Amino acid sequence: MTTVSRPILDRGRAYEDKQESQLLVVLRRFRRHKLAVISTILILFIFGVSLLAPLLAPFGRDAIDLTSPVRPAPPGTHDMAGQIHLLGIDQLGRDLFTRLLYAARVSMSIAILVVLISETFGMLLGAVAGYFGGIVDTIISRVIEFMLTIPTLPILLIISAILLRRDVVIPLPGFINRLLSGLLLAPEREAQKVVVLVLILVVFGWLGAARLMRGMALSLSKQDFVEALRAAGASDARIIFRHIIPNGLAPILVDASLALGGVIVTESALSFLGLGVQDPTPTWGNMLSTSQSYMFQHPWLPLVPGIPLVIVSIGFNFIGDGLRDALDPRLKR
Amino acid sequence: MTNYLIRRIIQMFFVIMLAALFTYFLFTVSPGGPLAGIQQQQRRITREDLARLRANYELDLYWPIRFSRWLIGVPSGPIVIGGRELFADTPVGCYLPRDRQVVIQDGQQVVIPAGCDDYVYLSEIPKLHPAVKSSRGILRGDFGLSTVVRAGRPVWDEIMSRLPATLELMIISTLLSFLLGIPIGIYSAIKQYSRFDYTFTTISFIGSAMPTFFFGLLLILLFTVFPSMLQNTFPWLPHLPPGSRLAVRPYEVAPWLPRVTPGTALDHFLHLLMPVGVLTFFYMATWSRFVRSSMLEVLRQDYVRTARAKGLYERVVIVKHALRNALIPFVTVAVLTIPGFFAGAIITETVFAWPGMGRLYYDALTRSDWPIALAFIFVTALLTVIATLLGDVLYTIVDPRIKYS
Amino acid sequence: MSLKKLSVLLSIVMIASMVLSACATPAAPAVPQVVTQIVEKEVEVEKVVTQVVETVKEVEKTVEVVKEVAAEEYTTPHPILSDVRVRQAIAYCMDRDALIASVYDYVDDPEGLIMDSPWPKTHWVHSEDYDFPMYDPDKGKALLEEAGWHEAGGQRVNDKGDVLALKFTTTNAAFRQTWGAVFIQNMAACGIQILPSYVPASWWFGDTTGLARRDFELGAYAWVGQTEPAGRTLYACNQIPLPSNNWEGQNYMGWCNQTASDAVVRATNTLLRDDRVAAYDIVQKEFAKDVVSIPVFQRAEAEAWSSDLQGIKSDVTEYATTNLHEWALADGSDTIVIGMTQEPDSMLALVSSMAAQRLVDRPAKGVIVSQYDYDFQAVLQDGLSTIESGLATNDTVEVNAGDKVYNTEGDTVELAAGVSVFDADGNTVEYDGSGTVSMKQLKVTYKLQDYTWSDGQAGSVEDIKLGHQFDCDRDSGATTFILCDAIVDVTFADDALETTVTYAPGYQDPTYHLFPFSLYPSHQVLSDGRNLKDVPAAEWLTLPEIAETPLSFGAYYVKEWVKGQSMTLAANPYYWGGEVKTPNVIYTFVADTNQAVAQLLNGDVDFLDSSTLGAGSEVKTVIDAAKATGAVTYNILASSTWEHIDINLFVK
Repeated sequence: MTTVSRPILDRGRAYEDKQESQLLVVLRRFRRHKLAVISTILILFIFGVSLLAPLLAPFGRDAIDLTSPVRPAPPGTHDMAGQIHLLGIDQLGRDLFTRLLYAARVSMSIAILVVLISETFGMLLGAVAGYFGGIVDTIISRVIEFMLTIPTLPILLIISAILLRRDVVIPLPGFINRLLSGLLLAPEREAQKVVVLVLILVVFGWLGAARLMRGMALSLSKQDFVEALRAAGASDARIIFRHIIPNGLAPILVDASLALGGVIVTESALSFLGLGVQDPTPTWGNMLSTSQSYMFQHPWLPLVPGIPLVIVSIGFNFIGDGLRDALDPRLKR
Repeated sequence: MTNYLIRRIIQMFFVIMLAALFTYFLFTVSPGGPLAGIQQQQRRITREDLARLRANYELDLYWPIRFSRWLIGVPSGPIVIGGRELFADTPVGCYLPRDRQVVIQDGQQVVIPAGCDDYVYLSEIPKLHPAVKSSRGILRGDFGLSTVVRAGRPVWDEIMSRLPATLELMIISTLLSFLLGIPIGIYSAIKQYSRFDYTFTTISFIGSAMPTFFFGLLLILLFTVFPSMLQNTFPWLPHLPPGSRLAVRPYEVAPWLPRVTPGTALDHFLHLLMPVGVLTFFYMATWSRFVRSSMLEVLRQDYVRTARAKGLYERVVIVKHALRNALIPFVTVAVLTIPGFFAGAIITETVFAWPGMGRLYYDALTRSDWPIALAFIFVTALLTVIATLLGDVLYTIVDPRIKYS
Repeated sequence: MSLKKLSVLLSIVMIASMVLSACATPAAPAVPQVVTQIVEKEVEVEKVVTQVVETVKEVEKTVEVVKEVAAEEYTTPHPILSDVRVRQAIAYCMDRDALIASVYDYVDDPEGLIMDSPWPKTHWVHSEDYDFPMYDPDKGKALLEEAGWHEAGGQRVNDKGDVLALKFTTTNAAFRQTWGAVFIQNMAACGIQILPSYVPASWWFGDTTGLARRDFELGAYAWVGQTEPAGRTLYACNQIPLPSNNWEGQNYMGWCNQTASDAVVRATNTLLRDDRVAAYDIVQKEFAKDVVSIPVFQRAEAEAWSSDLQGIKSDVTEYATTNLHEWALADGSDTIVIGMTQEPDSMLALVSSMAAQRLVDRPAKGVIVSQYDYDFQAVLQDGLSTIESGLATNDTVEVNAGDKVYNTEGDTVELAAGVSVFDADGNTVEYDGSGTVSMKQLKVTYKLQDYTWSDGQAGSVEDIKLGHQFDCDRDSGATTFILCDAIVDVTFADDALETTVTYAPGYQDPTYHLFPFSLYPSHQVLSDGRNLKDVPAAEWLTLPEIAETPLSFGAYYVKEWVKGQSMTLAANPYYWGGEVKTPNVIYTFVADTNQAVAQLLNGDVDFLDSSTLGAGSEVKTVIDAAKATGAVTYNILASSTWEHIDINLFVK
């Protein structure tokens, strides 16, 4: 076994060397897309801020300040101790700036989790389908086709209406709960409900990656080097993980970046309709939803969660576009 | 081609059935439902009252039976063959379920049904669920009766009362987005890397990434909230109605416009402006990007190069050779907008309180009116499948190189 | 480094850094404490398993123990709350003025909203000041000391070392979270630690969760006070929801005070108002003594209308549009526009429970009896059929086995051995299977004034017959049939709008004098040619002639209903009460309260009722506008809905 795999390992290393210089090329090309670079900086900033949410936040996430007789109150309102509410307070008297930070964290975590899980899952399924072909491919392709025919938003709404509004909680091992609750900076019970939303979004999120990877795997599996590997006795799993998937990673990366934007918008849309993450867990979507009810008298309210949401959503799209340009000049728009 | 069509239609049928079964199952397993909270609303309700109310929503029947009744209207009673009633004694549901209390460890309690005190037999269906209150089956065009949103009235009537609003909104914004998006896409492709191209690709990027609900709120802020706040300083600012489809009494938009009378064309127009604006912007972005990339693809083809090499005018090359071929994929994709004409735009309709299908669906979901939600999903899925087929068929017509067998 | 590795690494760093930064500050300490609370309770239940609970391996055993306990749930007194002194201390420590100010800072007279008994001060049943513990933190602290809860570092602990911490459950509605925050501050000032749990209403009020299963320690929610005080299902001993009675009843506290229980049962079984007042007086006194449920405040509710609109009669127990025929716009305009955030589900009032439906139904179908000011007034009914008026008799009859009687449970059954009834003296008697029981039996004659349907057809006694027939049909879709079941005989006059109803012995409902049925147009011919009379009850709800544009005997009728948009009412030309002041009324359905207020201030809408305007921050907007321009007028009412904190006296 060792003797056989040796040349393959070598080839892998050569491949890596090539990739390393390729990385520089990619970075250089990416830099040319100015909007993508600006977006990266902005998103990294928002991301950094959400990481430091508990340190930056001047108030507790759910702390209610009843000093101001008017709620919601505009930016600059002080609490009893004279501490300033940077972006004002919401209808309950909670500090909007604090909630915005925590919301960034929740929205970003959801997006990253969903995209990580669904791209991985889609990638695996797509690679398996494309590599093996035949009945496996037929089944997976049919499932994808079926999923594509059913109207996504209405079904998403049904599932979330059923699961989230009724307080259904998926039992998970304790350490995952604790991990998530730390990640979201929310009590475990709230984290458990976010998991439900993540899973719902994953169910409809893996299709793109699976189709992309299937196409790549289909063409790769017919190429000579794969035949050679097979003849050399490499296992299917090895071929898929060492050769098919790495080769198809570039478009997946582009897809993932676009998907990050998409998931953030979908999650906020669900929360906006009251069918996603529920108060008191803040997300940009549910903050926007409550702000809608007060916007006639307090017009600054929708802008607070709306602006970061738009920046992140458009930003991820620009990054995806920049990545596409950088990774594969042939794919250039 | 005929064989292909037949195969596709059979496939379509199964896809629809699967989608219907899936959604129906979702509603079945969902806790709550139209009777949620009834015991809190009513100070005193007996087990018998509850059973009767459950039967009103057919909740006394087992869900596969309910599904079959919803889908094709059977069983509506015992099967009669040659004057003999078959399966009359088969239990098809439970009129009086017996609840058992079970406590799980962390102090939370769940109730699981532990048997039945009064089964519903097939022979009892005509009595418990008379034909007037039963659906003849959605496959036979009967959508059943609404449960909550319009208690007891046919779902069909409700849909028909909402459809015009949705059609109005969707057709106008789809057409507008075509009218704007296609020329922009073509022009961007021709003048690739020009300032025009750069500007509009960026705009369309923003358009397709911008969440519609935030864009909607932004418009309301800009055209309703701010003008009314600034009424004293800038009285000439126009002030658009923030929602709904028609006004109920005359209103003023701006001092330099006459008062608007409800129900007039101007009233319609003013109410349409913002929702149509949001949707058009969103769709236009998609279409211009699509047309641009397919146009670029075509411009790279050999025959375009040949045509240019022949010394044809650029305009002729573009209009006669490139444009036609670039629009082929567009036509097949444009067909996919059809389901939207029925389904409407859930988010935009909610933001602007537009009394259309999307809002009806949203209301039905949040208030647990399953028959309306199911009808909506069913028709939307059906239209999606038909549109996909139509797209594929159109493809063979506009592009003779492609043949299905 | 390859691109793949880079991306994997990046994502790991992202997640890890989020987790790490989370560790910097503890994430929400409330939850673990709640868990300990529950475990403690379990330990109390079964002392043997104290150690077992701690170890993970023995979880199976714990489950078994809990299951055994499940059969006899809520019979163990609560370790903290079963002590009346703690309950009183909670009441003493609660600053109601601050609570009210936190949610209704615009109310001029917060005192007027404070409740000291289960009935509002303006209700006729509230006959004196009840000595319910009011804000006095020193007294509260003293009581806690007396009860063995000693101050220790901002908390209170007892000799066993238990911390005085209580779970406070309520819905996640913004309004409750706000006053909840003040409540928590108040309690903290007395050393009582509150662990708040704001849950979705669907869980808290679910049929098999939350309140219905008594899954709380302190639980806040609201009751809607009614014209008839009722209260038997809330405070009687046999109304405690338990597994053994299939969780029936609404005495969620588990309060069994025999004096109060007997009084409330007696109060709901006598027709003489003086007796009822006396009986309820006892209930309220016991209630103030035992402090099992703390009435907090009446909710405010606000109505607002354009100052041009005249004739509004605001009331807490009657829908604002009941006197719609008296409304008029100052400029003589012929159309009034009413904004509503909800749309009616059906015009068949029997199956609908929506406020929006009633707001349309009252003027657009007709009013038989109105309910202003916690009392009843005859409208179409020709005088209330009280005993005093001579239209009703309440005679003592001898009842034999097999006769239909109304039992103490509130069901109409045949008298047989084991059936409990109230005898003529109001005492509970269990029938032993032989002999007779003397019981009170109501026989009431109801009369209506002449009326004409909106199609010009004069009303007839047939309409009343149809009303009785439909309302009491099991297929009508109505929720309960308590009244129908209690009717043992009903006769109709031949040529007068009159019916005489005989109720089962023992049925002593205080609302006996109100016309008991709806009126339906017995002459109506449907579009398919059938007569309404002949249509089976199950079908009525599907008929547009009933559910959408019904005939009316009221001041208006529904002319057009554009779904999702508006409903148009036109004056009924045949209205028995004379001509209406404004011929057209439009109900327009608005997305939310904020938009409704914006439309009111714009002048697009003339009136917003309390179910649309509510009591939130929008009310403030209205008040500000009213003060600034005077273009709108508002009225803030102490509504019949009152917030209270129930105390669960028992644990699982």
